Formats: sequence, structure tokens, C-alpha cells
Amino acid sequence: MGIRFVLMVNKQGQTRLAQYYEYLNLEERRTLEGEIVRKCLARTEQQCSFVEHRNYKVVYRRYASLFFLVGVDNEENELAILEFIHLLVETMDRHFGNVCELDIMFHLEKAHFMLEEMVMNGCIVETSKSNILSPIQLMDKAS
Amino acid sequence: MGSQGGFGQSKEFLDLIKSIGECRSKAEEDRIVLREIETLKTRLSSPNTPKFKLKEYLIRLLYVEMLGHDASFGYIHAVKMTHDENLLLKRTGYLAVTLFLNEDHDLIILIVNTIQKDLKSDNYLVVSAALNAVCRLINEETIPAVLPQVVELLGHQKEAVRKKAVMALHRFYQRAPGSVSHLISNFRKRLCDNDPGVMGAALCPLFDLITIDADAYKDLVISFVNILKQVAERRLPKSYDYHQMPAPFIQIKLLKILALLGSGDKKASEQMYTILGDIMRKCDSTSNIGNAILYECICCVSSLHPNPKLLEAAADAISKFLKSDSHNLRYLGIDALSRLIKISPEIAEQHQLAVIDCLEDPDDTLKRKTFELLYKMTKSSNVEVIVDRMIQYMISISDNHYKTEIASRCVELAEQFAPSNQWFIQAMNKVFEHAGDLVNAKVAHNLMRLIAEGFGEDDDAADTQLRSSAVESYLQIMGEPKLPSAFLQVICWVLGEYGTADGKYSASYITGKLCDVAEAHLADDTVKAYAITALMKIYSFEIAAGRAVDVLPECQSLIEEMLASHSTDLQQRAYELQAILNLDSHAVKKIMPMDSTCDDIEIDKSLSFLNGYVQQAVENGAQPYIPESERSGMSNISNFKSQEDHESSTHALRFEAYELPKPVLSQNVPPILASSTELVPVPEPSYVADILQPAISAPSASDAGSSELRLRLDGVQRKWGKPTYSSPTPSTSSNDTVKIQNEATQRDSVGMSNSKTRDVSYDSRKQQVEISPEKQKLAASLFGGVSKSDGRQPSSSQKISKPQNPTSDKSRAAKAAAPDTASVKTSQPPPDLLDLSEPSVSSSAPSVDPFKQFEGLLDLKQDPTPVSAGGVGSTEASDFMSLFTDMSLNVPTDGVLDPMPNVINGNGLGGITAADHSVQQLNKGPNLKQALEKDARVRQMGVTPSGQNPSLFKDLLG
Repeated sequence: MGIRFVLMVNKQGQTRLAQYYEYLNLEERRTLEGEIVRKCLARTEQQCSFVEHRNYKVVYRRYASLFFLVGVDNEENELAILEFIHLLVETMDRHFGNVCELDIMFHLEKAHFMLEEMVMNGCIVETSKSNILSPIQLMDKAS
Repeated sequence: MGSQGGFGQSKEFLDLIKSIGECRSKAEEDRIVLREIETLKTRLSSPNTPKFKLKEYLIRLLYVEMLGHDASFGYIHAVKMTHDENLLLKRTGYLAVTLFLNEDHDLIILIVNTIQKDLKSDNYLVVSAALNAVCRLINEETIPAVLPQVVELLGHQKEAVRKKAVMALHRFYQRAPGSVSHLISNFRKRLCDNDPGVMGAALCPLFDLITIDADAYKDLVISFVNILKQVAERRLPKSYDYHQMPAPFIQIKLLKILALLGSGDKKASEQMYTILGDIMRKCDSTSNIGNAILYECICCVSSLHPNPKLLEAAADAISKFLKSDSHNLRYLGIDALSRLIKISPEIAEQHQLAVIDCLEDPDDTLKRKTFELLYKMTKSSNVEVIVDRMIQYMISISDNHYKTEIASRCVELAEQFAPSNQWFIQAMNKVFEHAGDLVNAKVAHNLMRLIAEGFGEDDDAADTQLRSSAVESYLQIMGEPKLPSAFLQVICWVLGEYGTADGKYSASYITGKLCDVAEAHLADDTVKAYAITALMKIYSFEIAAGRAVDVLPECQSLIEEMLASHSTDLQQRAYELQAILNLDSHAVKKIMPMDSTCDDIEIDKSLSFLNGYVQQAVENGAQPYIPESERSGMSNISNFKSQEDHESSTHALRFEAYELPKPVLSQNVPPILASSTELVPVPEPSYVADILQPAISAPSASDAGSSELRLRLDGVQRKWGKPTYSSPTPSTSSNDTVKIQNEATQRDSVGMSNSKTRDVSYDSRKQQVEISPEKQKLAASLFGGVSKSDGRQPSSSQKISKPQNPTSDKSRAAKAAAPDTASVKTSQPPPDLLDLSEPSVSSSAPSVDPFKQFEGLLDLKQDPTPVSAGGVGSTEASDFMSLFTDMSLNVPTDGVLDPMPNVINGNGLGGITAADHSVQQLNKGPNLKQALEKDARVRQMGVTPSGQNPSLFKDLLG
């Protein structure tokens, strides 16, 4: 299945975006997010960008105050996931222009749309920025 | 453009976001959200809300649920919005539904119709939105409702739709493989799609399929190799490039597939060698993505049929990873190493010091990965060091999940490679002492069995010694407080069996100790039961040996207490003990023989001792026994099972009519059994077979391993019981022996290969002079010595200055340049710092916690160091300052004139100078304008960078 979830959480531990590719109920999500964020916050920048948590491997990356966390299976290429996060941020940056935490908050649905284009069934399916953004731009134009 | 698009948002929405963004505690956030829930409940229930308002409410609902509160009161509005004509509203509706509902939610049924309609839409964006929803919401039961349309869409003219249709089919395959088994060939077809996106998507289902059955896809090896070649030769559109690498994510997926196809297949592997070599040679090892591909190549190479050239290239890459300063790369290096040592065990030796560095690194992730490697390279020569290290680490961590894992690994390794009994017992003691309650109960029983049976050799002296040392160590350890229950059970059992066996300790000493244990753990009935049974054993051994039993007063009171226990189990044990105390030595010898734990209690399964009785009865005119095979109409018990299985697996109603009950053939069979098999005519093959040959299939079925699902009744009631229950004794036992033999041979072969690897690694044992003696020792014990080939310097404090690969050389240069940061920065092209985890960044200024820097807690003057250190490493011109922040952007005067305000605002990256700022403006011309517009707008709403949470404004990227 590959990717199990994508989270964006700021350094105060507030969730800014959450997308799960397997069903967890509200309570499970809450605990999981809390635990993972605590783990990642405790780490220094020199340490690996990968953390094991329960049966997930979490690949995380910090941009300014925002953490991007991706939970993956054991067989996933961690470094590639790390770059996938960067690709996501670059894509958002291309769309929003100097993307910041506030952009994601104001346009939560758009951030989700981008992610929907990039990941399906827990697999990375699209990595071309123009392909990812074109449906969103078309939608903007139409409405 | 996105920022303008957001300006349709209401003040209310902006206020909500602002307050959520600025709140300082979870409690405050909860208060806001609870208030918001109330607002939304009233708003949503009022009629005639404009549609665009509704969309906003829906997004607010998303917030409610994302922040951990229940928003189910609004789900129905999300469902309604999927019906909307407007594309943006529809897609938002679908998004909300996929985030709110799981595939088994009751509301899904209301959406299936909409999805069906949308899949037929002329607007491909509508179709895409519906396909997204299909991938999230369609479950096994609703697949048939959309399957025909999804299949049709595989040939849609828009590539975006074909891609999503492939993924929808993939999802169906994941959910219910049977429902799409006839459509699998479509994935192969889509592999040849003109559009690279569709091809890339098709790789996902193909990867799953090949994981399950590689043999069925060997014909595609050439296609995959060709595609990979084209990708690597940059034949794909430029837009798939990422950091100058051509479609790296597709390359990685292809490499994963090739690894599966080439595993254990020489012919297939040979077709891949060339392209793998090419890619490894071309890989840019200075970028993360290049290294990601390189790592995937190593994984692939280590799974293929070995090729010396590629293995050499892989080993080179690994040593580069391990010598890197980036923890991410070292992590990958360790992982790659543990894959490669399966093929070429000698490679581990070159990297022993690097491995030890990783083992001693404070980074937990790296450490764990290294333990995984050590686990894989354990052999009898290094087991002591490795298990010792593992135990130390196990003690130090608090994460129970991992503690359990590492404890069971310790047990496994110790059992497999233990060099001596003493060591084994000591190691087990430590594991049990610190993780006894976490390890599987089976492990405790294994330990008892092992102490009872010895290590398998027919060496009684060794076994006795093992037991004595166990007793010795347990007597020492048992006084300690807070021992886990499982460990105490083992202790009690061993003391009971062997406490007095070697004559070193008197019965009264051991019984006294056992009483102490029982009294110290009054709440633990299991431990008490173990203790009292141990007492019973000690006493009976004494009686059997003809010695007078002297029951200590504390034992006496313990026994009395147990006699009145609420636990019937304890009571029974106590009564049995009392009874034994009153028996003579002869009787006791019979019922409690010394050291008899390993003796098999023979069960006469054929009950032959009754032959005479049966004979007599038959002679007196009794009916002779008719074996089941000779009786007819007897139905098979296993039918029940298969029936139930079937019923539980298909929840759906059955529409076939019931068959008429057939007349029961035989009178001596309970009629219920016979008819029940026919009540439900399920067309399941095994079931049919069972009916056709009821008698014959019965014993064979119970032989064939399915017996673990049923009661184990072999050996019981063979003569008179229903033969269906019992399996013929000889076949069962032969099965068992086969299994045991298999295990034995497996273990043998493991042992052999291990001894081989040891020989290899012992070959070249050369010492290097500058290496610290401690590490040398550790290396020697792990790998059998330090060899010259490892260029790594010993002490981790020297790590930074030692000769390194180009990246870190650059970082060193950067370090040198660091002091006069300002001039360097203005004169050089602004470096690309997008990559926070670039090796060079992590190597810099280890004493400074970058997190603190971010928060502006450190002196401003320290800031430039990491920035420039990492920056010079890459020459690409780009804006790095906005990566961290752009206070200066949002409040331009701040950045230009005086960096200090940034610090005041809690933004510690104010070290960015005016020069940088101007460069950034050049680079980001249009974006800057946007950003300013965006900024103006939100500030109008009252969200300002000088507000409570300025970091909301920090650019994530430059």
C-alpha cells in the first residue's frame, strides 16, 4: 500500500492537514497525531528524518514552522518519500506563490486537491507539477 | 493565483482561521472548535443557505474533524454537495465525503448514484472527481455498480481520466481481487499507454500483482527494462523531472518491480544488469533524489542473481552512504548493507567502524537500523557482544512496542547461537528481568523447556551444569523487587525441578525461598501456583530419597492459606501437596518421579489394553465395532466448518431455493448431521467433495493441517467414538516427525552457512593504528577485527574534519568561509537551501540546535553559520532566505534596515541580509507581488505577522 497517511502539523502540534489512506477513527487519529508529533519534535535537525512509530515508518520534514509527516510501510524508500514531501511543497509553492502555513489553512481544500492528484490508494501516481495543478487551475477559472 | 481565489471567503471564515492559527494551547483550540460546532449546527439547519456559503461551512466542518472533534452532524451536507452542478462545489463535496466517511458508512449508498452519473459526464474534471471518490468510497458490495463504467473509462481520451480509472481498478483489486480478476490484463495494456502518467499509474497495480505472483509476469521483464531505459535517457516530458533527475519516482517504482521479477531468476536478472549499471553510474550522488535512486538500485542488485560488477558498484555506493555526514544517508547505508550481506557477507567487514559509529550514535532511528543489521549478521562468534548490546539498549528505552521486538530478538539469537550455558542463562535473566512482561509467554516456556532438555547434545554433564547455573543465578536474582511475573514463574519452576538436584542447596533453603516468592506476590495467582507446585516437587523428591521432610513454619502457613484460597486451582494444588506429604516414599516415587519433565507420557491411543475386555464382550454376543468407513450416510464434521466459513464470508442474502431434504440412508447415524449438510446448497468445491466421499475425506482432512482449527481429540475414543473425530494415530505422528526433521535440517543449514561466513570474515584481520582501543575491541568482537580497507577515522569528534566525499568537502569549505558570512553571502550566488536535510547542513555547527535557532532563542550572530555552511554546498542559484522565513517580505522594512525586529517577533532567522533580499526579489518577481497581495488581504482581516503566531507567515519554501 505504500503511503498510509500524510500529515501537516505545526510545531505547536496543531494539525493543518490530515489525509489517511486507511481508515482510522477520530480517537485513533488524535492519539496517533499526538504521539508522532511529540516524537518528531524531540528530534534534532542532524538526526535522521525517519522515525519508527508502532508499525509505521514516519518520514518527516520541517519547513519553517510546519512539519510534513508521511507514514509509510516498511518497504518504502524513505529518501524518496522525503523528496516526495519536497515535491508536494514545491507544487504548493508554485500554486500559491511563497506558500506559507496560512495559505494551507485558508485553502485547505486546494491543498487536498493537490494531494488527491499526487497520491491514490496510497501510491504516488503523479509527479508532474503541471499535471497536478492543471485541474485545479481549470476549476478556478470555471468558478 | 491561489491567493486571489481565496478572497471569496467570508470574514467569519477568516476570523475562524485566524483564531485557530493564533491560539496557544490545545484547550483554547478546543474551545474555539466547540463554539464553531454550535455555530455550524445552527447555520447548516437553516434553509436556503447560498451554495457558496455551504461550501465554506463544509470546509469549516473539515476543520472541526481535523482538529479532533466529531462533525458527523454535517456529513449529510457533504453528501448533498456531491450532487451539485458546479464543479468546484462538487469536488469539495466529494473531498469532504472521502475525508468524513469510510467505505462502510451508511451514507455511502446515497453517493453511489451520483458517482454513477458523474462517471458518465462529458466534463472530464467531473469524471476525475468521481473517480477520486470511487477510490475511497466503493466497497466490495458496490463495486459491481460502477465497474462497467470504470472499465470503459480506461479508454477515455483524456489521460488524466485513464490514469484515475487504472487506480480505481487497482483499488477494486485491493478490496476484492476476485471482482476484477478478469480485468487484470488491462493493467498490462495501460503499461503501453502513450501518456507517461498513465503508464506510471499502471506500475502500482502491477507491482502488487507481481509481488503475489512474479512468474506470471516474467514476459514483461523486457518491457520494464525498456521503459526504465527510456526514462533514464530522459525520453519523458520535462515536467516529470525532479531536481534534474528524469522521473525519479517512476524509476524507483520500476526498480522495485525489477527486484521482484529478478529475484532468484538468473535469466531475468541478466536482462537487467546493463540498465542497472547505467543508472548507478549516472546517478547524481549529491542530491537526495539521486541517492534515493541509488539506494533503490542497491536494493534491486541485492535481490537479483548476483553480478560481480553490480555488487561492486553497490558496495561502493554503500561506503559512500556510510561515510556521509548525513544521518539519512547513513541510515540508508546501514539498511543497504544489511541487504547486501546476504549475498556478500565479507562487505560488512570493510564498514565495521562506520557501523559501530552508527550503533553508538544518539539518534535512535539510526541505532535501531544498526541493530537490525547486527541481528542479521549474528553468528556464534559475535553473539555475546551483539546480544549484550541489544539488552543494554532494551533496558534504556521505554517504547514497549520496540522493547518487545528487541527482547524477542535477543531470545531468538541467544537460543540459536549461545556459546555457553552460563552466558545463555545470564542473558535470559536480563531479558526477563527487564522485559519479562512484554515477551511472549511462549518464550518463558521455551526457556523452561530448554533448561529441562539441555541443548540437545547427549551430554548429561553439560545439562546438569546448565541447570545448576540456572538455579544458582535464580537464587541470586529472585530477591530483587518487581520481577515480572513470567520470570518468577520460570524461577519457581526451575527451583522446583532442579533446586535440590545437585545437592548444593538443602530442601529447606529452597522451600524457604519459594515461600518468600509466593508471599511477595500475593496478588499473582499464577506465580503462587508455580511456587506451590515447586514446593510439592521439592517435598516429594525428599520423600522419595527417604529423607525426613521438615516443613518450615512459613511453608506450613502458606499451604494453609492456599487451602482456603478463593482460587480453586490454588486450593487443588495445596490439597495435592498435603496428600503427598502423607504418602510413603515408594508411592511418591511412582507419582512424582525425579527429573521426569522430558519423559514422554505414553498414551496408548489404540487402547490395546482393553483388547481382552472387548474380545470377551464380543464372545458374549456383543455387536462388533464397525469402523466409520464401513458405515454409510455418516456426514463429516468438517462440513460444518466449511459451511460456517462460507456463511460468514458472504454476508449477502442467498437467493437459491433450499433443496429438498434427502432421505437419510442409515439409521445408526444421527439424522441431524446428515440433513444439515444438505440444508444449504452452497456451491463450494471442497464441500461438494466432502459430500461425494464422506468417509474417505474425513480422516485425510483432519490430517492435513486443518486440525489446529478443531478440537484436538486424536487418540481419544478411537474404539467407540465417532471415527470422524480422531485421526489415525500413525499418520499424525509421522507428520510430526517430518515437521521436526524439517526444523532440524533448517537449523543445521543455518548453522553451516553461519560458520562459513565466520571463516570468511576471519580471513583478513589487520589492525589499524589510529583507532581507539575501545572501538577496536568492539569491532573485533563484532566483525573479527579491523581491516585496512576502512578509511573511517575513529573518534566521532573528528568526524567533521576527516577526508570525505565531495559534499562534505564542500561543507568544510563552507565552514571555513563561515566567519565572514556577510561578504560571502553577498558575493556568491545565493545558494539553494531548499533542502533542509542536505548532508552538508546537518554537518554544520553540531553544537547549535537548529530548532532553537528557528525560534530565535540564540544569539543572532550564530545564525549565519548553518545557513552558509549548507548553502555553499550547492551552486544552484535560488532564494534561500524565504525558505526559513520572510519577515522581511511581509514587513519589508524590517529585513532591509535591521534584522533585529525579526528576532523580537520570535523569528530567529533574521540573519538574512539586505543583499539576499534583493536577490530574492529578482528571482521571485511575480511571486513577491502575490505574496504581498496575500499579505495585505490577511492583514486587513486582522491576521498580521506581528500577531500572536508570526510563523504562520513564514514561507515554507523559497
